[in-house]
Amino acid sequence: MTEPLLKVQNLSRHFGGTSTPVRAVDDVSFEIARGETLGLVGESGCGKTSLVRTLLKLGPATGGSALIDGVDITRSGGRQLHELRRRMQVVFQDPYQSLNPRMRVDRLISEPWALHPGTVPKSLWRAETVKLLESVGLRAEHAERYPSEFSGGQRQRLGIARALALNPTLLVCDEPVSALDVSVQAQVVNLLSRLRRERNLAMLFVAHDLAVVRHISDRVMVMYLGKIIETGPKHSIFSAPAHPYTQALLSAVPTPDPRLRGKRKRIVLQGDLPSPVNPPSGCRFRTRCWKATSICAEQEPALTARTSAHGLLTACHHAEADPAVAGE
Amino acid sequence: MALLEVNDLRVSFDTAAGRILALNGVSFSLNRGEVLALLGESGSGKSVTASAIMDLVPNPPGAIDHGSIRFDGSELLQLPRQERRDLCGDRIALIFQDALAALNPVYPVGWQIAEMFRIHGRTVQGGVEKAVIDLLTAIGIPDPERRAKQYPHEFSGGMRQRIMIAMAVALEPDVIIADEPTTALDVTIQAQVVDLLNAIRKRSDAGMIFITHDLGVVAELADRVAVMYAGRIVETASVFELFDDARHPYSVGLLASQPRMDTDEDELVPIPGSAPNPAALPSGCAFRTRCPRAEKLCAEVVPHLETVGPGRQVACHFPVSPA
Repeated sequence: MTEPLLKVQNLSRHFGGTSTPVRAVDDVSFEIARGETLGLVGESGCGKTSLVRTLLKLGPATGGSALIDGVDITRSGGRQLHELRRRMQVVFQDPYQSLNPRMRVDRLISEPWALHPGTVPKSLWRAETVKLLESVGLRAEHAERYPSEFSGGQRQRLGIARALALNPTLLVCDEPVSALDVSVQAQVVNLLSRLRRERNLAMLFVAHDLAVVRHISDRVMVMYLGKIIETGPKHSIFSAPAHPYTQALLSAVPTPDPRLRGKRKRIVLQGDLPSPVNPPSGCRFRTRCWKATSICAEQEPALTARTSAHGLLTACHHAEADPAVAGE
Repeated sequence: MALLEVNDLRVSFDTAAGRILALNGVSFSLNRGEVLALLGESGSGKSVTASAIMDLVPNPPGAIDHGSIRFDGSELLQLPRQERRDLCGDRIALIFQDALAALNPVYPVGWQIAEMFRIHGRTVQGGVEKAVIDLLTAIGIPDPERRAKQYPHEFSGGMRQRIMIAMAVALEPDVIIADEPTTALDVTIQAQVVDLLNAIRKRSDAGMIFITHDLGVVAELADRVAVMYAGRIVETASVFELFDDARHPYSVGLLASQPRMDTDEDELVPIPGSAPNPAALPSGCAFRTRCPRAEKLCAEVVPHLETVGPGRQVACHFPVSPA
């Protein structure tokens, strides 16, 4: 097997003191192959954003490693980190806050080349900027405008163009379409799909909209309270989820078909997310799980293959597919 | 007769970019026991419609320029201010999107729910305190006696939204307006809140206006749908008709642009372009610049809502033919 592009091992990110840390990301391992899109889903507070920030080294890891092309991001600094960041770029959620309002578009897009001398010679900046703008569906004349002159969808295209300027191998997309209207969201999803095909981009696609994640991803990873609780090829996750939390999550997605109203099995979770300062012993989901037994409080379930679903890994002692809640 | 009837409502706002029309002739009706979804994207005028009904349009810069809002036989826009205020909260209630901003941070939630009874001078059998506990129990807040004494920040987002719902239904209103009550919530919590709203509508005879941009929630909750675009209603239909057989090109585009959970699509089908600037709306039909069916006529003449079937209206010169 070829070496994965990104190899994350036992990565943790804790906040606060050592006595009672908030375990935002706790002992997480996964890989992303070249050209592959991994979708990351989970609800607010599950650690998605902390994981993304740790991978981008926007904050230090508490433990573990994250290797991109064999180099550990968590232990990089200075020149080496600067070099690594060329290979992994990010598209942020809010296109209103992530673009400097005082920079003209041509400067916004060429700034990465100024920060990484030797990538694109200055004489070509103008031509390359136009090429990038056109590749994200904008036009050459847009180079002379300011971000405030663009709509939300167009701004997100600018953010994508800027992220692609250094020709990264990994694109981290943190809720890239959540701030956009439905009709515009589809434009940006299509753009990202096309760009990843054309450039053989690997993507970590973080979103809470499960239908969008299902559309764009090859594999999907589900997080709950700092842990990966289930992961696998998207069709295994969506057609035969075996973790009770994944099942509840899928069953809660409203179906845009009024004829199915009340006909689908709906698992309504009781209570709220427990505090990550003092997570439940054993399985972290057990306090809201209808299948929990004594073993769940005693032993933390490992993320392994537990059902016949192709490539599906589930961290649950009682993992079992439930045909009534399959999303597909 | 309809419980609530909105007719040719026009609301405008003074902005730095000039006077903009937020609502440009909105008409719809709501019956008892019915859930009407107002479906549209940001800036389409959904929330302004709610504000106009609740007398919450800030004036200045906003003003209701034209139209009528009839509730249970009386014209709201002609009622003296105090009478109208008394009606709102009592017989017409609003559930806000952002519960944290809508609740007062310095009073316990029980006190705030009880305020509904005090302000509207209602006496309840068994006392207000008991009524508050009963409401908290009904919305599924565990340990209601203790929780009533807690402050908004001590509750999760989903619980705060349920407290908003408790306040809205406290006086058993005839009309409940829910303005994107689940948009800020996670999907499992959204499911809890949608279930709660469904339970309330089954228990009471109230009509509900549910404002949302989420087609999935519409499919789960609505009886009828009014689709809004750029300050106008462009289509009204029963929820089944809309999903099976949308007639306005915008409704069709909205349905097609959503990724599905049950099929694999190679490419999504977006609506090209983005919503128009309300200060510079296209002439004629505001959707024409993004519309695949637009012709010369669309730039010249504003299409009005025309009845095309029982309970069905479309504002389009070239609607999609029935399926």
